[in-house]
Amino acid sequence: MEKATEKWASKVNELIIGATQKEGGTRNSLIKVGGATTLPFLHFEGVIPNPPVIAMEVWDMEPPDWPAVLKEPFGEVLGDPVEWAKKCINEYGANFLCLRLASTHPDTKNNSPEEAAATVKKVLEVVSVPLMIIGCNQAEKDTEVIPAVSEAARGDNCLVGIAVEANYKTITAACQSDGHSIIAESPIDINLAKQLNILISDMGFSPEKIIMHPATGALGYGLEYTYSIMERSRLAALQGDKMMSMPMVNFVGQEAWRAKEAKASEQEIPEWGPIASRGPLWEVTTAVSYLQAGADILVMCHPKAIDSVKKVIEELMKKE
Amino acid sequence: MEKCKIIFYPWKKEVTVPSGTDLLTAAIRAGVNIYNSCGGEGVCGRCKVIVRKGEVITEPTGRLSAEERKKGYVLACRTTCKGRMEIEVPPESRLEGLEILTEEAKAKRLVGLYTPAEEVEKGPEVALERVFTHGPLSTKLYLEPSPPTLEDNVGDLERVYREIRKGREIPIMQMGLANIKKLSKLLRDSNWKVTATLGNRNETTEVVLIEPGDTTNKNYGVAVDIGTTTIVAYLVNLPERQVLGAKACYNPQVDFGEDVISRIIFAQEKDRLEKLHHVVIDAINNLILGMALEHDLTLNDINGVACAGNTTMVHLLLRVPPEYLRKEPYVSTAGFMPVIRAAEAGIKINHRGLLCCIPGVSSYVGGDITAGVLASGLDDLPTLGLFIDLGTNGEVVLGNKDWLVCCSTSAGPCFEGGGIKWGIRAMKGAIQRVEINPSRDKVNLYTIGKGKPKGICGAGLVDCVAELMKSGRLNRAGKLIPESSKRIREGEDGWEFLLVESKKSAVGQDIVITETDIKNLIHSKGAIYSGAEVLLKRVGLSFQDLEQVFIAGGLGTALDVEKAIMIGLLPDLPPEKFIFIGNSAIAGTRMCLLSQEAMIKAEKIAGKMTYVDLSTEPEFMNNYTASLFLPHTDISLFPSVKKLIG
Repeated sequence: MEKATEKWASKVNELIIGATQKEGGTRNSLIKVGGATTLPFLHFEGVIPNPPVIAMEVWDMEPPDWPAVLKEPFGEVLGDPVEWAKKCINEYGANFLCLRLASTHPDTKNNSPEEAAATVKKVLEVVSVPLMIIGCNQAEKDTEVIPAVSEAARGDNCLVGIAVEANYKTITAACQSDGHSIIAESPIDINLAKQLNILISDMGFSPEKIIMHPATGALGYGLEYTYSIMERSRLAALQGDKMMSMPMVNFVGQEAWRAKEAKASEQEIPEWGPIASRGPLWEVTTAVSYLQAGADILVMCHPKAIDSVKKVIEELMKKE
Repeated sequence: MEKCKIIFYPWKKEVTVPSGTDLLTAAIRAGVNIYNSCGGEGVCGRCKVIVRKGEVITEPTGRLSAEERKKGYVLACRTTCKGRMEIEVPPESRLEGLEILTEEAKAKRLVGLYTPAEEVEKGPEVALERVFTHGPLSTKLYLEPSPPTLEDNVGDLERVYREIRKGREIPIMQMGLANIKKLSKLLRDSNWKVTATLGNRNETTEVVLIEPGDTTNKNYGVAVDIGTTTIVAYLVNLPERQVLGAKACYNPQVDFGEDVISRIIFAQEKDRLEKLHHVVIDAINNLILGMALEHDLTLNDINGVACAGNTTMVHLLLRVPPEYLRKEPYVSTAGFMPVIRAAEAGIKINHRGLLCCIPGVSSYVGGDITAGVLASGLDDLPTLGLFIDLGTNGEVVLGNKDWLVCCSTSAGPCFEGGGIKWGIRAMKGAIQRVEINPSRDKVNLYTIGKGKPKGICGAGLVDCVAELMKSGRLNRAGKLIPESSKRIREGEDGWEFLLVESKKSAVGQDIVITETDIKNLIHSKGAIYSGAEVLLKRVGLSFQDLEQVFIAGGLGTALDVEKAIMIGLLPDLPPEKFIFIGNSAIAGTRMCLLSQEAMIKAEKIAGKMTYVDLSTEPEFMNNYTASLFLPHTDISLFPSVKKLIG
């Protein structure tokens, strides 16, 4: 029987995160994402040059809402971003980190852009893997913080965000002048995603250096809808829409650990089973779904979940 | 109960109302028209008035600026009176009436409205060349039936019928008892010389009236277009097929809500339905009486009225409760209203005269659109055509001689100036053309009637946004780029572009266009474009397949097609494919008034038009979001704009 294969006109943009000495940076390794010429893992149809990657979350303060199950693997390093980052690399084998500057949020510590920049500098000094740096997800505060941290990380070709419609101008300008890539977030809509990509590109920023974040949720929270939006985005890229050809990132950990199903105690809902495995499973299932939808970068939290997803990626990347 | 006297300036109109009445209600009672689009809910912030004297109780509102509050501005609908008071209605809150409009008869925008239809600028070719067999709603026949004899002893009624049918094919004929009672005496008193007025009541011909002698030279009719915003009426000499005069006024229902939905909500209470019904009837009667007087006619000489309006307007005209229009599954009481006696609805013409309403298609596509299609000739096109009504409801019709599909896009009132900070209807002083000189950061404006600018109308808004885009002052998401111009500044409603400095404006304040205004326009233009797109997709076609695009509505006569394409309101097609047909609803209604054949055609159009409910089209939301960008998220749909903005 003959295989029915689709020949696509175009491909997903390929993007490199990080810069070694050769590229004028201080990293020891690089992360390469995107470049696929087919839908996820259809090796018989096209080329998938880079497997999806996992960025492990590191916070610049102790996460106030994390359940014990999620805090447990990190123990004492929570609250110390440098030690936390080291632990991720040395103990959990991370090759890509996502530094979340949560302490800058007005509702937490309201730390200053300078303090955030200092943290970024310290982390970059201590670890040598490529870095994703995100603010506190408050559009207004991020416009103050991101330019400072972007400058602090100048030359290291980080992935910086998160740019939304309300603040993309400042963040784009910062990424542009300091040579970083940008995360562009829009609320689960293929048109809004494209519009933001156009607005950022219209500022003279290279579309090749944009990563899209479709603001997806966790398993059980509208995943099927977000799945189809991501799939449509991927199809648009393959059909040659240059303003939709960006790789995609999903903040899986952030969403999965917000879910009641991951956090509720055994006393509360005994029939849901042991909490120790429930949360990580929720994170794994969410992550695997997004892999199938076309995710290129998964930002995750729990080491156990990360381990499982790495194995899944390995399996899915096998060409047989 | 304590009463208080309120005087409204500048007209010095007085009214006495119970203390605690809100100022909007008091103004309505005083016959003062104040702008408001939310029906007095305190939401739209349009009913600003200034308290000159007296004590008021006013609710806090975010709709007034600090500067305005300092000057004594309050929202009329949120303010109740206490004791004697004096209220000034500032120009921007005034809804000007008939007198002011008539004075503007020569303003370009109003040409279509205020002159006989034959002189409508642009595009009368299509709209008015369509000739139907003459057969008006009301026909007068002079009869001399032979008196009865012993040999020829059929009854008087049958005798009259026999006389009428001589040489005429009239299968179904009827006469009311009121006429029959008087018939025998009337025939004999008038020496068997009478005039019969025949009326078309759908399939039936009614002998509406029998009069002594020959009055056939006195037979007039009126065509009325009842718009959500404007009412237009034509006085027509029925046997001569001649439009004698045309008049227009605001739809006074505007006082109770700007769009159909707020009026349907308002009409939920019985006495409020009555109110809506009465004000529209009064307005129509005023128009008719005015025209009759100007042409030395008596109301008795007017024997028929043909009306077109959206479905809600027709319900309110006939005092039929409109409430089910708004509730799923959105059904009207009647799409094809039967021909009734005009007096039954309260319209004052000959007491036996008829009122016919042009049939509508659905709850949200009414007889005005049927009439518009009839006038445009879309339903006779051998090739594909599109009909767009740039009004509050933004109806779109697609088709040709074989089929028609339509939808209502709820575009919103922005083409008529609604929901725009300095938006006004296309009246005297409205900015309707804008040019921006990018190198000198200078703005050239053209107002209707060349007066000092008072505000901006729909066409001006389209022009302005296109110019801002072209000159690099606006990004594709509709956000102003502050560093591109000194005229861009942060105002009370966010970023704004200064169009007119206060010293040059008629209102003593700076006239600006805000980012919110631009957003509103983007939503309206997006609704119309994506509505048309969904209709086309539904039948497996695209904009490129269109041979003709008819643009209807008052705004159309002053709309710059290229700029409308630039912002993505109209599809990117060669300009020669667009045809302006002005107020097509009144043109079609006039045709129906003059020809039973046209009326039958209108019924066919309404009957064959397939209504597409956009709320049930999964494609629509996606297309709509894609269209909320300038000109569109997918720029490849607008190659000419792409070339221009790079």
